[in-house]
Amino acid sequence: MTNIGSDLPRADGWDKVAGKSQYTVDYSESGMLHGCVLRSPVVCGRIVRVDVEAARSMPGVRAVVTATNVGNGRAGMLVRDQTLFADREIRHHGEAIAAVAADTLAQARAARDAIELEAESLPALTTMAQALASDAPLVHPDWESYALNPMAAELRRQGNVAGELIADPDGVDEAFERAHLVVEDEFCVDRQYQAYLEPMSAVARFTDGRCIVRTGSQFPYNIREELAAYLDVRLSDVRVIGQTVGGGFGAKLGCGTEGYAAVLSRAVGGRSVRVVKTRDEDIVTAPVRENAELRIRTALDAEGNMTAREFSCDMDCGAYGLETPTFPSILFHFAAGIYRIGPVRVHARAVYTNTPPTGAFRGVNGPAVYFAVERHMDNIARRLNEDPMAFRARHMLRDGDTLLNGQALADAHIAREACEAVQKSLPAVGARQSGDRLRGVGSATGFWVTNPLPGSVTITVGEDGRLHVLTGANDNGSGAVAMGLTQIVAEAMGVSTGEVIVGLPDTDLSGYDSGSQGSRTTHIVGKAALIAIDDLKTRIFDVARQMLPPGANELELVGGMVRAVGIGDAQVPLAAVFQMANFSNVSLSGSGTYATTPPAFTPGCAVGLTMPSLLTPTYHAHRAEVEVDSVTGNVRLLRYVVAQEVGRAINPDGIMGQIQGGIAQGIGFTLTENLRLVDGRYLERSLEAYRLPLAQDLPRVEVVLLEHPDSEGPFGAKGVAEPPLVFAPAAIANAVSDAVGKPFYKLPITPEDVLFALDT
Amino acid sequence: MQQLTFEVNGRREVVAVDVGETLLDCLRERLHLTGAKDGCREGECGACTVLVDGQPVDACLYPALACEGVSVRTVEGIGTPSEPSDLQKAIVEHAGLQCGFCTPGIVVVLTALLEAVPNPGRANIQTALAGNLCRCTGYAQIEDAVLSLASGAKDGL
Repeated sequence: MTNIGSDLPRADGWDKVAGKSQYTVDYSESGMLHGCVLRSPVVCGRIVRVDVEAARSMPGVRAVVTATNVGNGRAGMLVRDQTLFADREIRHHGEAIAAVAADTLAQARAARDAIELEAESLPALTTMAQALASDAPLVHPDWESYALNPMAAELRRQGNVAGELIADPDGVDEAFERAHLVVEDEFCVDRQYQAYLEPMSAVARFTDGRCIVRTGSQFPYNIREELAAYLDVRLSDVRVIGQTVGGGFGAKLGCGTEGYAAVLSRAVGGRSVRVVKTRDEDIVTAPVRENAELRIRTALDAEGNMTAREFSCDMDCGAYGLETPTFPSILFHFAAGIYRIGPVRVHARAVYTNTPPTGAFRGVNGPAVYFAVERHMDNIARRLNEDPMAFRARHMLRDGDTLLNGQALADAHIAREACEAVQKSLPAVGARQSGDRLRGVGSATGFWVTNPLPGSVTITVGEDGRLHVLTGANDNGSGAVAMGLTQIVAEAMGVSTGEVIVGLPDTDLSGYDSGSQGSRTTHIVGKAALIAIDDLKTRIFDVARQMLPPGANELELVGGMVRAVGIGDAQVPLAAVFQMANFSNVSLSGSGTYATTPPAFTPGCAVGLTMPSLLTPTYHAHRAEVEVDSVTGNVRLLRYVVAQEVGRAINPDGIMGQIQGGIAQGIGFTLTENLRLVDGRYLERSLEAYRLPLAQDLPRVEVVLLEHPDSEGPFGAKGVAEPPLVFAPAAIANAVSDAVGKPFYKLPITPEDVLFALDT
Repeated sequence: MQQLTFEVNGRREVVAVDVGETLLDCLRERLHLTGAKDGCREGECGACTVLVDGQPVDACLYPALACEGVSVRTVEGIGTPSEPSDLQKAIVEHAGLQCGFCTPGIVVVLTALLEAVPNPGRANIQTALAGNLCRCTGYAQIEDAVLSLASGAKDGL
């Protein structure tokens, strides 16, 4: 095999490095107008008056739209709780009030600024505590009337609680009563902005009564679904065409600008309208990672064995649910980490507040949950005066042990293998001090999941023998399509990657795909491609047999040729097979659809469980060595070691990029990135104030890839992209706690936090 | 509108620009050179970086009318998909790009670095990249790409 396990250049790399890739902001159409959105300066309130008359008559203005003239279609990932524009209620700072389309962007902005908005401010619920108070007003008084998407069938909701999970197994209270020791910790994490370099953007037009939208979305089929709901049209009356994605990390799964471009285009009679967010607008309205408060109590017996746990968590949805109401279910699966603990009681809630909505960010709430679980493990080990890794090893699940949902984890031993690998690369030596510099080491381990949702692929042999791959999957930048899918197809078809052309998604042409989320694309879409190739190969071979000498029964694809096995050098090129097929009433096209089959689980293990099982688990260990400057409070990563199980590495350089980039985002979440809410408004609203890690802030991550091919995955591949970020905050926070000799419970750990800890 | 005469990627250009127009808008909207990207319009992300008389500038903040008589070089003037520069080739071969939105700015900045310092170390590269945000890669493979050129070894490719 030459295409699998090879560091081949990504298919889209040459255009990207030459500045030739076309992102949505580089795409324009004849007669295209420019749109922009008026957003609420108010955190919570009621619209008294929106006067757009002056704006409408300004130079170049072609349309001004508000809630009153676009209909009131509601959309949402789980709960359809969102409209394009605030109708009467304003629920968060930055909520859309009106939109303008004009000949130039400057004209559109001038008109937007001329719209008169009169809004009455009301007391805002800017914290979860306020929203959960028994006498709190409801963020959504009509919550019971909202339609639910199928994924929300099990969702448990009540007032300001947009999603709640309760697991209450037998034996928890008894175990705590019998406990020799109870260790209790409280953690909190702040919000994190995805900070993709390409601000959200879309170009929409109406043709033949249908809406056509171009957008660099991670999930074109979801954009179609949301747009159809907002526009109140049939799903198939919306066509979403993918563009190159300039980064998304979860933020570009749902509609950002697409809905505004679409309603403006409809209002001007179908002309194209482009809407691009400014950076401050993008920060205020991005579906950022949610802030959360987590509490863990663990009971231990006299031998220091964990015997039960209670884990509760509140996560801030903001004013609309997006993906967040399903996060309590994700927390449930990881509440015990990868350890034998006994019964675990879980209570997790996603809470509506009058703050900008939160949503999906790479690893969703995994970084927060593992931060809490793995910091807690270190704290317990310290109380027991035991080495943290030895304490973990004593409790680690063994092959066949069950998770909290009753699902068996068949290959849990890989986590031990990962822990041993990081220990070998970077032995933990204990905290050291040298002058003003404090050094420490911290670790984290656990398992993560590969999103199982369906994807599909159609592969067609072209006239010249090249392979055209049609899929709804978009490369979000990770290389899952440009490397993973491309290399998988090349390998299975016996050609070089240059013979494989993967088009951009188009919901009119490509089959359904569940989006670049949950580390799923290489695994799911790669598998769908192999199913398509099984279908295609049968057709190719049936035609080729007619062209090869008699007795050519067993055929193979090598170097773009169909070759008869065992009959000298009898072979025929794919291009010739196409010509023959074309006049033999055979379509040289194969299609495949794949979704992971869910494993058995215990029904009733929890109430409100929207995701009952975990599929295609992967195993991980991280270890960080930090140096803390006791004068400035700054934390520097000296070394960072990752042992990651990937099933099978399709492109090791690509995986290295996912790990290095994921750790960088984890370092940011842990140390520098701070998106602070003050009375419902973000303090950081520029890339100057919001401090992303720079090149000089980052270590070169040392990576050990563990390969345990998955029986279902394409060539054994599993999901890769999210886990580096999921485990980094726990490892780094443990390292800082080790270095400083004080426990840290809050993310980010700022220099001020470090200095405060050192002084107390 | 005022007339601006300058050189862009080795070719003399005469364009009419608005007073206050940025170099980025002039390049993207009037000359259709869309390689330089608008990532923040506040001089923070570096995706719009171009060379003005050989010096990297944030084109999103640089006035177009300040370019009278100067020589501007954009990512399009550094190489093409079929004929990339050594640096562009190394970045692709070291997987030093993912979504690619920041990549044009990074190519421009590192081209300037290599012209000034032919054999930069990792610290030089990191300092040169201090004005360029990349959210995908964590920078290491970009640095590896430059180091492969600096050593002259071409990394065995």
